[in-house]
Amino acid sequence: MSELVYGTYILVWPALTLGVLAVICGAVIKDAVQARKSNNNVV
Amino acid sequence: MNESSFVQFSILTIVILLVGFYGGTYLLTLLIRKKEEDTSGFMVAGHNVGFGMGAASMTATWIWAASFYAAATSGYTYGVSGPIHYGLWGALMILFIYPFGRRFRKLAPNGHTLGELIHARHGSSSQLILAGSNILGSVISLMVNFTAAGALVSVLSPLSFQTGVLVAGVGVLSYTLTSGFRASVFTDFAQLVALMAITVVIIPAVLFAVGGPSEMVAGLQNLTSEQADFFSVDAIMNQGAPFFVAVLAYAIGNQTISQRLFAVREKHIKRTFVTATLGYGAIVIGLGMIGLMALTVGVEPVNGNMNNLIPQMVSAYLPPVFVGLFFVLVIGALSSTADSDLSALSTIVMADIYGKNIAKDNPNPKTMLLIGRATMIVATVAGLIFASFSLDILVMLVFVGALWGAIVFPVIISCYWDRVSNAAFTWSVVIAMAFFCIARFELLEMTGVTVLFFEVLASVGGAVVFGLMAFGFFGRNVGLIVGVVSGAILLVYATGFLRDYMVLTASLTAYGASAIVCTAMTLRNKERFDFDLIKQRVGSYDAPADEDENEPTMIPEGAHS
Repeated sequence: MSELVYGTYILVWPALTLGVLAVICGAVIKDAVQARKSNNNVV
Repeated sequence: MNESSFVQFSILTIVILLVGFYGGTYLLTLLIRKKEEDTSGFMVAGHNVGFGMGAASMTATWIWAASFYAAATSGYTYGVSGPIHYGLWGALMILFIYPFGRRFRKLAPNGHTLGELIHARHGSSSQLILAGSNILGSVISLMVNFTAAGALVSVLSPLSFQTGVLVAGVGVLSYTLTSGFRASVFTDFAQLVALMAITVVIIPAVLFAVGGPSEMVAGLQNLTSEQADFFSVDAIMNQGAPFFVAVLAYAIGNQTISQRLFAVREKHIKRTFVTATLGYGAIVIGLGMIGLMALTVGVEPVNGNMNNLIPQMVSAYLPPVFVGLFFVLVIGALSSTADSDLSALSTIVMADIYGKNIAKDNPNPKTMLLIGRATMIVATVAGLIFASFSLDILVMLVFVGALWGAIVFPVIISCYWDRVSNAAFTWSVVIAMAFFCIARFELLEMTGVTVLFFEVLASVGGAVVFGLMAFGFFGRNVGLIVGVVSGAILLVYATGFLRDYMVLTASLTAYGASAIVCTAMTLRNKERFDFDLIKQRVGSYDAPADEDENEPTMIPEGAHS
């Protein structure tokens, strides 16, 4: 039980990092596509 | 384990890593380079940064080299709850500022710095207090990040500390100089992707290399009872509480944050900052867990230096390729913060100093850009010199932190309460700083009535922090109730107790004294301010396309009023 709790306590952070990374990349790709359509830079 | 236990890269390997990183980053900026940059693009990317780029940039900027080392140190020192007490509060700094950020943006939709807004609200003295604290903070940040680069290069390779400092400074300047804030945001995204990808790999890799969760559980016997307790009072009072006090101060006092509040599309502010909160928390707490792992398996930091913990763990338990990844992780983190500091400094000098105080709202955009780029060069040179001397910055940091604490209440309340005057703003900061110095350096004997007086001020300061946070999310009534209730609780329980934590007491004193003086002076003021004037007074510095580029810029209506 303790092993599961400690393992989860440590590994939840890289898992959350991966989730946020996916969200950010998805949003940037969307912005990049829109920027290309309107012939602008993404920033 | 001793210093020779670190993986040592050859000069060729380290040069390839550094040239690959900074060269690649420079090449990236060529993708967004414009033939003619305008001031709005250079300072805030035209107020048009999307959600993804904004969240990436905010996260990358807020993570600096010290974030990993300090989180790991917290995990090693305070045990199970240590990484949380570093990363959580740091993350909340991003979260708690966004409600106020939306207000700033509503008042000054074309703003570039918080100082411009305060200039439009109060005038030069208040603005320059804010701008001065911003500049000091960013120069210190630059110096710390360059120092971290020098230290890392010297530990992992035969190259000297000074070489590492110089390469980082020149590298960051090279890709930021031309496009300013736009380059900072764009490269932040690439740097954050690398940083997150490495974080995702490196934490489980270290965990399973030390023997997995079972080894950690077995090593819990190495922890003291405080370290093993998730609700450790020691961790809360010595790590969590001082950081919590700084939550709003750092967010208000740091131009890198307000610059992004003005740069992100207004409708995306909330989700940008919420995402950045999650991203920052996950990365920093996660890497802080390496400090906890080091504690459980009984690793001693080389030379007693806690900053060696992560490189030691990675060197000891993982193949050299992971040490290379860790190197990129740290260089990416410090570079993303350093480029944001360069952009912040250039924007403050362009808008707050040149635009508002030298050119008196009538600047030439070309001159303005020139000043911005010159500022970046001067700031880099200053950062390199300070970093090379390895100066003790503790006293400077203490003063800047206190100054930021003292300006939190006047800045925020000036954006909501139409009776706050320039004198109330200025005097509240000056008096708060005086009280802070007395408490922090114990200039008076801290006994009897004197210490009680400061505990009362600190209790008010605590109430101000809680009240402002509640106010940001739930409005005036809830904010007032939370402030009054928390103030009453603190007055009962903190007096007689806070004197044992004078650093925390001094920080809270800055909040409390500024809030009391500002409120008292404001209540005596009968004049009311029309907030619509801010929108008129804070405008774009760029001339419309059909005007002569060399002519001074169009001034927004009411700018000179």
